Amino acid sequence: MARIAGINIPQNKVVRVGLTYIYGIGDKHSYDICKNLNIPSSKRVNQLTDDEILKIREYIDKNFDVEGELRRETSLNIKRLIDLATYRGSRHKKKLPVRGQRTRCNARTRKGKAIAIAGKKITPLKK
Amino acid sequence: MSRSVWKGPFVDPSLLKKVEKQKNEISRKPIKTWSRKSTIIPDFVGSSFLIYNGKKFIPITISEDMVGHKLGEFSPTRKFTSHTPADKKAKQVAEQSALKKDLNEKK
Repeated sequence: MARIAGINIPQNKVVRVGLTYIYGIGDKHSYDICKNLNIPSSKRVNQLTDDEILKIREYIDKNFDVEGELRRETSLNIKRLIDLATYRGSRHKKKLPVRGQRTRCNARTRKGKAIAIAGKKITPLKK
Repeated sequence: MSRSVWKGPFVDPSLLKKVEKQKNEISRKPIKTWSRKSTIIPDFVGSSFLIYNGKKFIPITISEDMVGHKLGEFSPTRKFTSHTPADKKAKQVAEQSALKKDLNEKK
């Protein structure tokens, strides 16, 4: 069992892939960790020694914000924009795209699934 | 791409002049400005602005957190409308028609 940065227990994966299951660590960071701690790319998470796990934990603590800490930081940044009553804050509040994308169509990632407008008639197809 | 650091933050020269001038005065009227593209610099903290949004001037007092943003970010240029549920719609329509009536009477 490898517990790194709280709750994450990726098993049976190559270390470089397993580490990306931690929120805040992607391909780049996990590659850097493996490189700096001299972990071979063929090694899997359940083959790690206790010493290596400890080293990874320390390395992450030292260098990156991860999981809860990172989530808090991002949500604080968004909250700041909303409290200041900026345009970007208002877009966050309304759950619409923040960076000037169109909203006439698409933008479904931010808007969520499409909701049908009640009472709108479907125009019959012309022959 | 973000702006080069060596240029420093962009502030409209005319706006800078207005702020400088206001500092020497005792009575502090809000500064009317059309320069939405100007960055808020630490000198602006505490003073109040009237920022044009294309239709009217939006009053705003600058606080410390706002430094680094642009003035235009605080003065929305679009009116946000969304669909209202049917039960609230009736109330809204009634309010609007009452407003119109008032306006007509005044005329």
